Amino acid sequence: MGRLEGKVALVTGGRGGIGRAICARFEAEGAVVYAADLSEAGSLAAPDGASRFVRVDVSDEESVTAAMARVAEEQGRLDVLVNAAGIEIEKTIEETSLEEWNRSFAVNVTGTFLTSKHALPLLRKAAADGVSSGIINFGSYDGFIADPGLAAYCATKGAVHALTRAMACDHGPEGIRVNAICPGYIDTPMLQSFFTGDGSGGGGKSIGELQQAVRDVHPLRTYGTPEDIANLVTWLASDEARYASGQLWVLDGGLSAQVQQMRI
Amino acid sequence: MRLEGKRALVTGGRQGIGRAIVEAFLREGAEVVTCGRGGDSGDLPEGCGWVTADVSDPAQAAALVEACGALDVLVNNAGVQVEKTVVDSTDADWELVIGANCRGVFNVCRAAIPVMRDGGAIVNIGSISGQNADPSMALYNASKAFVHGLTRSIAVDHGPKIRCNAICPGWINTGMLEAGFDLAGDPAAARRDAIARHPVRRFGEPGDIAAMAVWLASDEAGFASGQLFTIDGGMTAASPLNPGMF
Repeated sequence: MGRLEGKVALVTGGRGGIGRAICARFEAEGAVVYAADLSEAGSLAAPDGASRFVRVDVSDEESVTAAMARVAEEQGRLDVLVNAAGIEIEKTIEETSLEEWNRSFAVNVTGTFLTSKHALPLLRKAAADGVSSGIINFGSYDGFIADPGLAAYCATKGAVHALTRAMACDHGPEGIRVNAICPGYIDTPMLQSFFTGDGSGGGGKSIGELQQAVRDVHPLRTYGTPEDIANLVTWLASDEARYASGQLWVLDGGLSAQVQQMRI
Repeated sequence: MRLEGKRALVTGGRQGIGRAIVEAFLREGAEVVTCGRGGDSGDLPEGCGWVTADVSDPAQAAALVEACGALDVLVNNAGVQVEKTVVDSTDADWELVIGANCRGVFNVCRAAIPVMRDGGAIVNIGSISGQNADPSMALYNASKAFVHGLTRSIAVDHGPKIRCNAICPGWINTGMLEAGFDLAGDPAAARRDAIARHPVRRFGEPGDIAAMAVWLASDEAGFASGQLFTIDGGMTAASPLNPGMF
């Protein structure tokens, strides 16, 4: 029997690199999964997925309430909400326009707020049935320590960390657990765009050399895969994690355990 | 002067960070005593008292505190580092590092707290390495995490009589930093790389740490207790990726 047998889950950014892996894993573990994203193909070229697709712009309240209404009608409850939708602007604050700043917060912070807010009635139904229900937000190791030229992103992830603890305090008494996953470098379209992006000086390095250099700075000498993240999300969504709440779960191949890498 | 009328003990004040703290405390009007395992080096600043003591030994730590009399300020600065992994560390390395960095701090605190004056301040020297690991510094990293934990315990147990805080220095220009760079294949290149990782583009100087020690020891810090104060030129605010990579 799967570890999420019979659970109803909604994953925002569900067609993105990490979200897609979470949807696939959740289904393999027996959950009923809604993949919520801006488009059916999402950030990957090929559409796929046995999971139910629901078109959602997490920064738009009507769009979010419509998605929750559909889940309510079809399932009557929600056991797990994963807030994996996110965007990254590769700029310093000086280079960032107000519009880009607002867009970053609209998706990464307001999106987490809106989906969580409107999922609460459905999560409460699951909790009332004695199911260990929960929200899993996406923070980042960038919410603790800064990568250069990612100012708005770092700030939004710090906000998600604080929001995670606040939600855990407020809704824990209702049986709703709230945690955040803080990924380091994960092989996703977002990371590849970081390697090739305009903000990347790269010091004349090829993309391959940059990728290897990033792998080498990790104690485990590799960056992670979306499946690595899905492994922890699955545990947090499962009943095994029934006492886990209010925590920030860093999954980064040991990257942030170091003071600094110095190998010459 | 900000430490006028205060009596301070700074362990390990002959050189490096401890020496800078001794000098800063004297400038700010404190009476200062320092100590070390060997003899008085003969070049201590004028007015600084000296007691020969190995703080890792409980009896010597107790005798040290007795020699100092009533203290207002205690700075636990004495420490050693051994550049080894867990597997390479010997029992003698354990005795040395844990003896000085953990047991030494404990010994002096246990002896001093009962005889410190009300409103006294303890300043422990922790490290950024107690929060995140420097490679091949296993016992040192762990010993500094002990200092951080003990700092919080003393603040909780012995307030309001005593305030207790720790300073977590980053990479400070001392003999210990040089010893770290000697581990690199190319110490000069390692130095350049390390400086590039500091938003302030330099290593710290012992005086940078002494400046925080003065503040923590002073009455201006009357509401500061149980905390770790990192002084590292911004290094640990940045990700460990190579500078200029992107």
